[in-house]
Amino acid sequence: MYAKYVGKRILYAVIMYAVIIFIFSALFNTVAETVMRTQIQETMRAYRQGLSADRRLSGEQVSAMAAARQEELYDQYRLNEPVVTRILSRTFDTLFFRFGDSTIVRSSAGESDVWTIISEAIPRTLLIFLTAIAIDIVLGVALGLYKARKAGSVMDRATDIGTMVVFGLPAWWVGMMAIMVFAFIWPVFPSSGMHSAPPPTSSLGYFLDLLWHLTLPVLTLVVLGFWGRAYLTRNVVLTTLQEDFIMSARARGLTERKILFGHTLRSAAPPIVTMTLLALLGSVAGSILFEGIFSWPGMGNLYWVAVGLNDIPVLMGNLAVTTMLYMAGLVILDLIYGFLDPRIKVSGKA
Amino acid sequence: MKKRDFSQLRSMWSEFRRIKFGMVGLALLGMFVVVVLIEPLIVPFPDAATRWRDMTYWVDNPRNAKPAWVNWFTSKDYAPSARIQSDNIVSGEFGAGKLYQAELPYKYSWDKAPSDVTLRMNVTGNARYEAEFIRPDGLSVTYQKTSQGAGTRDLRISVAQNLQPQLYQFAGKYEDPRVMQSTSASTINPLAVLFSQAEKGALLSGSKPLDGTYTVRVKVVAADATSSLNEAELIVAGGVQGVLGTDNMKRDLWSGLIAGTKWALIIGLLTSFIAVVVGVIYGVTSGYYGGFVDSLMNRIYEIFSSVPLLPILIVMSAVFKPSIWIMIAMMCIFFWVGPVRTVRSIALQIKEASYIEAARGLGASNRRILMRHMIPQLVPYAFASMALSVPGAIVYEASISLIGLGDATRVTWGQILQAAFSSGAVLQGIWWWVVPPGVAIALMGMTFAFIGFAMDTILNPKLKTR
Repeated sequence: MYAKYVGKRILYAVIMYAVIIFIFSALFNTVAETVMRTQIQETMRAYRQGLSADRRLSGEQVSAMAAARQEELYDQYRLNEPVVTRILSRTFDTLFFRFGDSTIVRSSAGESDVWTIISEAIPRTLLIFLTAIAIDIVLGVALGLYKARKAGSVMDRATDIGTMVVFGLPAWWVGMMAIMVFAFIWPVFPSSGMHSAPPPTSSLGYFLDLLWHLTLPVLTLVVLGFWGRAYLTRNVVLTTLQEDFIMSARARGLTERKILFGHTLRSAAPPIVTMTLLALLGSVAGSILFEGIFSWPGMGNLYWVAVGLNDIPVLMGNLAVTTMLYMAGLVILDLIYGFLDPRIKVSGKA
Repeated sequence: MKKRDFSQLRSMWSEFRRIKFGMVGLALLGMFVVVVLIEPLIVPFPDAATRWRDMTYWVDNPRNAKPAWVNWFTSKDYAPSARIQSDNIVSGEFGAGKLYQAELPYKYSWDKAPSDVTLRMNVTGNARYEAEFIRPDGLSVTYQKTSQGAGTRDLRISVAQNLQPQLYQFAGKYEDPRVMQSTSASTINPLAVLFSQAEKGALLSGSKPLDGTYTVRVKVVAADATSSLNEAELIVAGGVQGVLGTDNMKRDLWSGLIAGTKWALIIGLLTSFIAVVVGVIYGVTSGYYGGFVDSLMNRIYEIFSSVPLLPILIVMSAVFKPSIWIMIAMMCIFFWVGPVRTVRSIALQIKEASYIEAARGLGASNRRILMRHMIPQLVPYAFASMALSVPGAIVYEASISLIGLGDATRVTWGQILQAAFSSGAVLQGIWWWVVPPGVAIALMGMTFAFIGFAMDTILNPKLKTR
């Protein structure tokens, strides 16, 4: 039953992704084609120069060959076809990771293929955010449980205020402050990058160096994030604590500890997990500017670079991949929820 | 709407009044509104909002000056900015033309010299002018020049730019020849020389500050009857200025911050209002009709909610280069999904209520039932949802501005931070440029978070205590 649910959910997500990519292709059709035309013009200029250098060809021959070549390129990029076909073909290209060539941005090996550039950045982004998420969840849920047990206490209300204070705080600004304090005023952490230059040669040194560069951005994300997690956990757990079965457990004389971890957390887990992951997913997508502040060479930083150089193909490719990862996150979320909540596992309905 | 429709809101208010942080939030909101209303009265540069990128507007300010209150915490005080207007210009016959004379006194009692002292003279026609900077110890340096031209214009003599050779020579009288050889007129700080004791070490800022009244004596010889000196003013660009100092473009940051308040409120409130109204109507409609309409609306909702918000906003801004209003519209396109799910589930409950059935039995149209009986029930939730989505809108605008895609014709907090970040203020430690806009965003976010969370507590009374 669960397998059927999984299959349905994934199929549904793939269809949704295709629809969204189609909308993107239609929305950004004009600008994408302008870039293509410019790229073709560049190629044509080089081609014409090559032909003119050849003394055996007359002027007429050169322009005839150039025209033929241009037509060929237009055909190749499907610029001679009707608009609908063009948009559809771009949708398919995007779905199969054929994002074309970048205009200025290059991969670390100097390649201009957009997918190569993006696929380099994905693991770096995952590294920073998965680390932050793991710490965030542990701290947040622990604090949330504590708050729920002591609901209404000074500590509970004080941390509530903390949640509200960080609510409208942009992560990237806190990152700037962290850099100013810990890299400028009191230089204990590096201000940017992923490795020292040159990176240490031994593998342990390399790892420690990476960890050292990772500390400041992860710390910033966690310090901002776990308040929200705690608030959420507290509310879900508190709602559960007021259920009848908890009262009956109390009446049976079970210890508070057993009630909290054995009964409450068990039924509160699915909403906590989903809402936590959902909020984190939102913050990952929302924190893409954050990487730029720390010059962490992930996907977020790629947005900065692509915007700065006005490299439209990279920007579009990055958007498609970010959307895909985001939707994949949503699917995983649903699957975890389904796994934790037996009603879904059995009935196969979301 | 009739009176009874507001009864829910009234009871909500009576509960709201008892929540302390909610009232704090409301007070903060009131403060922001007041700040926007009295903006021209509290800023030294009222045209900051319209002339933020106009270099000529800021020309007389110091560059990267710290806030004035820094002097309270430092043992060596910086000279603050000041302006001294000449109250009387004496004129007398001088050959075919006229001789104008004015004296501008400046009282100096600080430890660190200002970053520049500029004499601004408004003249008409041809003039030969002479400015004598007389120090409290009676010594002086003089600058002379002739300016020819028609019409009325401002002439500026800046100590930092124009008086370097004179002050180099001046300090040289007391200095070791070896020091003279290792320095040149262009490497010294002329201001430090002007405001220091005339002794050994003055050239390298090594002598004590010279306190007292400095006088600038201005003499302008107007060559003919049509020429004249109209105004003389001494502008001291301090080491510290105003409430929040200045940035590297000489802009007064306090004026910019206050100008940004208005935009933060407009962006936040407009976006959240439109988005929540659309979201509530969408959710209620979807829940009320059910069936095919509901599933179609759900699909559309899911498409919008599974797009990562900031990336799509960044790409759209990069491609379409929006003005601030278009940007608000773009945010609304994605923000409306926020309340939909909750509203739909509430609507599913309400629609089963017997009074809805009764209304339908009396022949009320669907539209009437939605507008008169269901949506009013959701008003308290809508308000809470609006308050909680304001900070998001402000942060998104700031984020788009930070990456350099915002509306460059407006002064928003994000624009100020973008300028700070891109010119390296973070790593140069120019904290008065980076900290205040962020604190402002945080404070505005906190304001609405307080209000929103307070309403949330009222709507979910179970969550107060165990």
